[in-house]
Amino acid sequence: MITNDYFIEIAHKNLQKAGQEVCGDVFLSKKIYEEGRTISVLSDGLGSGIKANVLATLTASMALNFTIEHQPLERSSKAIKSTLPIDQDRKISYATFSIVDIEYDNETSIVEYGNPPFIVFRGTSPLKDIIKKDYKSDIKQCSFCAQREDRIILFSDGVSQSGIGRMEMPFGWEIEDIENFIADIIEKNPRISAEDLAKKIVNKAHTNDSLSAQDDISCIVIYFRKPRNLLICSGPPYKKEKDKLIADTIRFFDGNKIICGGTTAQIISRELGLEIETDLYAGDSQLPPLSFMKGIDLVTEGILTIGKVAECLESGEILSDKNPAGKIIKFILANDHIKFLIGTKINDAHQDPTLPVELEIRRNVIKKIAYILKEKYLKEVEIQFI
Amino acid sequence: MITDKIITVKICTGTLCHVMGGSELPELAYHLSESMKSKVEVKGMVCGQFCRDSSKKPPFVTINDVLMEQASIEKIIRYLEKAFCNDTK
Repeated sequence: MITNDYFIEIAHKNLQKAGQEVCGDVFLSKKIYEEGRTISVLSDGLGSGIKANVLATLTASMALNFTIEHQPLERSSKAIKSTLPIDQDRKISYATFSIVDIEYDNETSIVEYGNPPFIVFRGTSPLKDIIKKDYKSDIKQCSFCAQREDRIILFSDGVSQSGIGRMEMPFGWEIEDIENFIADIIEKNPRISAEDLAKKIVNKAHTNDSLSAQDDISCIVIYFRKPRNLLICSGPPYKKEKDKLIADTIRFFDGNKIICGGTTAQIISRELGLEIETDLYAGDSQLPPLSFMKGIDLVTEGILTIGKVAECLESGEILSDKNPAGKIIKFILANDHIKFLIGTKINDAHQDPTLPVELEIRRNVIKKIAYILKEKYLKEVEIQFI
Repeated sequence: MITDKIITVKICTGTLCHVMGGSELPELAYHLSESMKSKVEVKGMVCGQFCRDSSKKPPFVTINDVLMEQASIEKIIRYLEKAFCNDTK
């Protein structure tokens, strides 16, 4: 979510307990676009495996939906506790939850019950005095206004109890040590993405457990940072007079630039006086090869490539690094704000019903990609048809 | 040595050419005879817009800027052999 030039990057990494098929920790996140809110929930179900996963899913979904509806915490937690089934072995019903609710103005409130304490980093040091604990209900709360370069780190007890009983960490990976570990990483790499930081924390906990996780390990990192922009330009404009507008948008865009389509590439080449080189062997044979143009990060063919991008974003299929659609997806995932500048002129030659494949209308494919990016990948998407 | 001339074959990599069989054409470089290899340059080009003319049929290649419709590796090699042959006469 971009508010006041911030982007909220949310990453979640998890690892199930050794020998289990699924993770008993569940993470859910949702952006409420109408209100400019972002809500993230982590729940750790009692035990591990499928049973824990069901409990945690139930808890996380309820916590998320109650928060969306602005329900008071007491009511939500009471409803959750009375809904959870009682464990037959331990005779208790239990699942933990942490809820992060970020408002449109970056006013952030965090509520945590039963999970290890969350950590808020401002730059390279943790903010300690903002967290209030209610000893009666054992619920920790905090609210603060997030600033750029703040990071919120949540994790399950699989992280804080990793390595427990080992000579060098008899009480597990203690919070202070986790804080030092994170501070050290941020000091070395101040721009580290939420994704990479979460991965490093989970990997370290896994190493503490001698690479055989003793519990489900989960880590969520929420990072407030400067947005990274990507422009994807595809298709010639409906009116030829707009060619210059496309070229200027590309020239002055601050971020990564991708051109999808031979005709579009030729328009840019003509308008900006840049040469296009096509390397027949750059790519794989499934899709037409890549071309190169100075100052443009990627030049690909149009409708077949973006069609493949839509297909893979939807199914989660991972393409090879050489595949042009795989390269586009890599750029998309590395950026926060994706702008599509789409020419709506239809290529009549593509509408021939005798063609061996169906070539979709560019506008429809882009709308589909935009929808998937918003809903599944939580990206900020802007489409401009021209 | 038949000829010193370099013949440039440019393969259109546009959408229509790719789906109509053009995706096989980059293989051309591996099908050229030893004598041809040094004299034929195989390149790619972004959509040459030849498909805008509905009377012409993809995939398209240009051989020294002369357009060939419905190109296939065999057809291009036959054309090149003929070109080299004519050169020696």
